[in-house]
Amino acid sequence: MLVVPAIDIKDGKCIRLLKGDFDKATVYGDYPLKMAGRFMRAGARCLHLVDLDGAKAGKPVNKRAALEIIRKTSVPVQVGGGIRTYQAARTYLDAGASKVILGTSAIQNPDLLERLIKDFGSDRIMVAADIKNGRLAMQGWTASSNLPIAAGIATLKRLGVVNVLVTDVSRDGTLDGPNFGLIGRFVKAGFQVTAAGGISKLGDVAELNKLGVSAAVAGKAVYEDALDLKKAQAAVVYKNTLTKRIIPCLDVKDGKVVKGTNFTKLKVVGQPVKLAEKYSRNGADELVFLDVAATLEGRKTFRGLVADIAKAINVPFTVGGGISSIGDIRSLLAAGADKVSLGTAAAINPGMVRKAAEYFGSQCIVISVDAKREGENWVLYIKGGAEPTTIDVLDFCEDMKRQGAGELLVNSLDRDGTDSGFDLELLRNITDRVDIPVIASSGGGSPEDFARVFQTTGADAALGASIFHYRGINPSELKQYLSAEGVEARP
Amino acid sequence: MSERGNYIAVIDYRSGNTGSVKNALERLGVKYVVTDDAARIKKASGVIFPGQGRAGPAMRQLRLKGLDRLIPRLEQPFLGICLGMQLLADRSEEDGARCLGIIPGACRRFPPSVKTPQLGWNKVVSVQSPSLTYGMQDGGYFYFVNSYYFDTDKVYVAGTAAYGFDFPSAVRKDNYFAVQFHPEKSGRDGERMLKAFCEVCRC
Repeated sequence: MLVVPAIDIKDGKCIRLLKGDFDKATVYGDYPLKMAGRFMRAGARCLHLVDLDGAKAGKPVNKRAALEIIRKTSVPVQVGGGIRTYQAARTYLDAGASKVILGTSAIQNPDLLERLIKDFGSDRIMVAADIKNGRLAMQGWTASSNLPIAAGIATLKRLGVVNVLVTDVSRDGTLDGPNFGLIGRFVKAGFQVTAAGGISKLGDVAELNKLGVSAAVAGKAVYEDALDLKKAQAAVVYKNTLTKRIIPCLDVKDGKVVKGTNFTKLKVVGQPVKLAEKYSRNGADELVFLDVAATLEGRKTFRGLVADIAKAINVPFTVGGGISSIGDIRSLLAAGADKVSLGTAAAINPGMVRKAAEYFGSQCIVISVDAKREGENWVLYIKGGAEPTTIDVLDFCEDMKRQGAGELLVNSLDRDGTDSGFDLELLRNITDRVDIPVIASSGGGSPEDFARVFQTTGADAALGASIFHYRGINPSELKQYLSAEGVEARP
Repeated sequence: MSERGNYIAVIDYRSGNTGSVKNALERLGVKYVVTDDAARIKKASGVIFPGQGRAGPAMRQLRLKGLDRLIPRLEQPFLGICLGMQLLADRSEEDGARCLGIIPGACRRFPPSVKTPQLGWNKVVSVQSPSLTYGMQDGGYFYFVNSYYFDTDKVYVAGTAAYGFDFPSAVRKDNYFAVQFHPEKSGRDGERMLKAFCEVCRC
């Protein structure tokens, strides 16, 4: 999260208003550019500029001062106040403003919003949601409209707005602390939220960070040195030490681990329990066992095997292959599997995924996705890749998330068994669109392939088979390589 | 502390993945019972409170069995795991559940800025002495599966991990110690911790 100091300009000077009241202004400096310099020296990584006269007049008034700051500072500057026409927005954006902030009333001019978003991208357009007495205040801070917040959120979403500046006007300039509940509503609705109003101490900033806010705008508190910018920024820096997972995959038939490029030429690789122990000792973060025969008779053997594996190893493992009912899932989880992987059953009957997630928890429901490239898109295949569907893979992934899937295991039929690298484009598309963990599968033949999939896609884990079974590379060696390449991996 | 049996009681309330804890204790060769019986839990020299699933149904099960009154009164070493840690809080955002109120605080959902569930191995920073945390390895990697985290006062935080920000990976108050991760699924580091816990309980 970014901590962003605010520069409010009135009559060419830096001022702060109390609760948005133009009669209650404190002057903090005569020259806004000097203030910008002061904030940058204090550690600001972005500036928030508001032309207060402009907001009142409905057109930029302190444009010269604003443009001067935009042109002369080396950090991103977002600017608002009186931007109500395409030309006004464009002037600032062309001058190098990172974002323009349109007033709340912009939602009454959908054509303008749509055009700006289309021409400049949604990441450069921010809409202010000024909240007064629990409603969206439409013009400046002086007139209250009667738009309830829920309706405001729905409208903003519909218009394609991504960045929202949420200000509880009744708290602005008060150092009373932000309205966390209100801000949380906008975050939960899926917006990139910049919060403003009442932010006065480190605890406020930390709390906003926990809410998932993208940026916090502080005014009075930084002017009066109640909030140290550097300290505040350090307290909310994005930290993540969750490691990328390396998962050996073992195909099981008649109680043995097998491998082959097609089902008719299967070769026995070894005993499942022995291999499971070996891999978990050698750094596997998880294991996957697939029942490739999935016959009625084989099913029983497999269940027994799952129980033996659960007793032997102390890392999590997923089982899959031919699971077609809630009863199948229950019996495998009871035998000791941590997760189950569903493929064909999920495609044919998405409702089963929902039911399974409700019964057993999302965390143990993995959806196996078989994708094949067709033109610009990927088509979902079922029955082990033997049968195409008419379902688009990206749509399917999104639907599975909605149904409650905890994780996606993505196979590329174009890459499977080729050792030619993961399908990075497919994985990028899926991880951009769906925000649950994704396991990359198919095509990982060399350590370089694994590094690349983590460096260039949002994949959280990667599955490998032949690299471990045949090429003699063990998971911990692979992870050593990944660490050296800058990928967070468990030693 | 008189008349305690030298066994670990694993609390069974139909919300825990007791199977994996059971397997881990088997591997350690520890004496244990999996039970919902108040007398056997009270008599145990140590208690493990596993958990998986949702806070609401889990609390309903505990109330149904009267365990919601028993658990806060235990005096022996106590180890909560995953949901078994979150249920020690006052309340949880998950299902709006009122929880056991053993350690002050509330469980909150991770923000949309990170993927939920958090799933995988994360690095745990221990902020209390190893003697208070059953040797939970500082800088060790443990296996997490959670969409909610226990937001509590610093004084109760025994360890942290970073997922967007530092969240409590372990909490402690008096004899109650609990971890957000699954030691029973956390390879050698997890096994070492469980072993240390059982040794303190003399099992």
